[in-house]
Amino acid sequence: MTLEKRKAAKWKVVINIILLFIVLIWTMPTVGLFISSLRPQDEVMNTGWWTTFTDGTRFNLDNYRQVLGGRDHTYVDAAGNTVRASGDNLSQAFVNSLTVTIPSVIIPLLIAAAAAFGFAWLEFPGRKIFFTIVVALLVVPLQIALIPILRDYQRIGLTGSYLAIWLAHTGFGLPLATYLLYNYISTIPRDIFESAFLDGAKQMTVFTLLVLPLSIPAIASLAIFQFLWVWNDLLVALVFLGGTADVAVLTQRLASMVGSRGQDWHLLTAGAFVTMIIPLAVFFGLQRFFVRGLMAGSVKG
Amino acid sequence: MKKVVVVLLVFLMAGAAVFAAGQRETVDEKVVTVFGAFVDEEARRFEEAIRPFTDATGIEVRYEGSSEFETLISVRVEGGNPPDIAALPQPGLMQNFAQQGHLVPMWNSLEQLVDSNYAPVWKDLGSEGGTPYGVFHRVNAKSFVWYPKKAWDAAGYEIPTTWDELEALMDQMVANGHTPWAIGIESGGATGWPGTDWVEDVMLRTAGPEVYQQWIDNEIPFNHPAVKEAFEIVGDIWFNDDYVYGGRNYILTTSFGDSPRPLFEDPPRAMMHRQGNFVTTFFPDRIQDNLEQEVGVFPLPSINPEWGIPVLGGGDQFVVFNDTPEVRQFMEFLATWESGKLWAQAGGALFPYLDQDLDAYPNEIERSLAEALVNAEVFGFDASDLMPGQVGAGSFWTGIVDWVNGRNLDTVLNTIQRSWP
Repeated sequence: MTLEKRKAAKWKVVINIILLFIVLIWTMPTVGLFISSLRPQDEVMNTGWWTTFTDGTRFNLDNYRQVLGGRDHTYVDAAGNTVRASGDNLSQAFVNSLTVTIPSVIIPLLIAAAAAFGFAWLEFPGRKIFFTIVVALLVVPLQIALIPILRDYQRIGLTGSYLAIWLAHTGFGLPLATYLLYNYISTIPRDIFESAFLDGAKQMTVFTLLVLPLSIPAIASLAIFQFLWVWNDLLVALVFLGGTADVAVLTQRLASMVGSRGQDWHLLTAGAFVTMIIPLAVFFGLQRFFVRGLMAGSVKG
Repeated sequence: MKKVVVVLLVFLMAGAAVFAAGQRETVDEKVVTVFGAFVDEEARRFEEAIRPFTDATGIEVRYEGSSEFETLISVRVEGGNPPDIAALPQPGLMQNFAQQGHLVPMWNSLEQLVDSNYAPVWKDLGSEGGTPYGVFHRVNAKSFVWYPKKAWDAAGYEIPTTWDELEALMDQMVANGHTPWAIGIESGGATGWPGTDWVEDVMLRTAGPEVYQQWIDNEIPFNHPAVKEAFEIVGDIWFNDDYVYGGRNYILTTSFGDSPRPLFEDPPRAMMHRQGNFVTTFFPDRIQDNLEQEVGVFPLPSINPEWGIPVLGGGDQFVVFNDTPEVRQFMEFLATWESGKLWAQAGGALFPYLDQDLDAYPNEIERSLAEALVNAEVFGFDASDLMPGQVGAGSFWTGIVDWVNGRNLDTVLNTIQRSWP
């Protein structure tokens, strides 16, 4: 082995150790959260999760049971009997969250892809100005739009419907989606479009058969962003959809699970892992699109 | 591909129309919507408590609770989508909405009910500019000291009834090797509020209700000697490391909910904790299950005998945004003890009704708290909730934190006074 090679190998070891260290630090909070989610309430409140390594705590799934199956409630019914029953389980909230999220991802992506194609490849008057307006909208915080939109929804009787929140998320998501897809679509080689037009393709054909399939990697990454944002959103859902049990999304249920004064925060540990399931599935499901070659197949056409 | 897109869009729009239509149908039913800040178990208990109303009248009451209540109620009112009735935790919110003309004032029959069922202080707290708006339902009272009963019995401690006795008791505890207090003021973005309660409690006891009201209205400045005296009395306890478990550091870094836990360890690491009636939900489960055997409670003793034993407290007031016959019926139900009875039986709630049946409370502890609340000669609403937001939910909290951190008291008080809008 030459000196150079030995030096390189040494560096590699050092770098790997540093990386390992960073990875450890990075995953520490998640590990702590996970361990805490398996511990009984009294112990979560009294000692840190790291003490489990030394004093061998009992783990149980009680927190998960309470989160998934509904918190235990004690109340007195109209006949004066004390009743102990579990609250609503999370299935309704899961369905509500999916009902809100899926259209709120698909609608803006389709519109943004079409808009980006238009801005990138179609000639029409005012193209630059419109595009500048779209980009400028990126810096407008959505919170300032809540009250005006709510007023308009109220006027046309849309408040509290799913359509209201789909449209709201579409509007809030469009500027970024359009901008990012524009950057991507404008890098598609001109030759591909020219040969398509030579073959007699119309704009719509080019869009559906060329642009959309070619943009899959960009659309997939945007879909993940938009999905996570809508899935984790609490404010927009509370404003436009409301928080009654029939429409409450998962984030709302989680927020109320800790109780009026935050006395049950230990349930959040399990709640965090439960809500993570769907975003993780989406991420790993779409991840292969990132890895897949960008232009693969386009030249062979 | 094109077809797929078109089909998908048609499907989405059709689905949306169905949802929108489905939600509009409910308008014809007799429904009252109520929006409030309490959630989860408390929301469930509220729903059960008002079920007799629905059974009797056929009017459905739909309660929605959110921990983001303060933000949302303003957005919804501004956006023209208020609930029929809202339960406002802070009188300041009611005053704002009333000034903006969003609220429906009390009508005659409701006002008569309030006059006969509540002490006058509750009507005053629900009024703005002489017009009554808010009806109180569940309230809380904060001037209570909790202690581990068994440890007290073993050590032979007796409940103090005057401030001198309290001080003597603290010294006796220190002499026995016990730590008198467990105190924690951490509460996320609201860190400091348990400290404001201490100061308010002492202020009511030293200066009396009139000066207390002047303090809230800033007719006396925040650095007035009367306010400073209250801070100093609190500081005499807080900053004596023999008196407080863990000293200043524990006060600052322990969340208010976790702070009573040292009382219930074996052996207890602290002997007293001052907090409102709601603190029992933070006690360990095994304590909550045997509350009467494990825990004792007494009102924070009197300092100036002229004011007796004042009670500091707060509560949600129900105000009306939409005037309908159903809403009127429900508000009149809320102004009677009937609406609170079932919740009182379930526990964790106190009610201000003069004609309430104290036997309804599930244990001796809550019964004594309710009794203290109803019989208090002086009742002070939480001052920090009545002060302008910049102070009551801002500089007063941070001032407490700075003070515990060791900042000079005069500087702290001057800073709070300067922040007054």
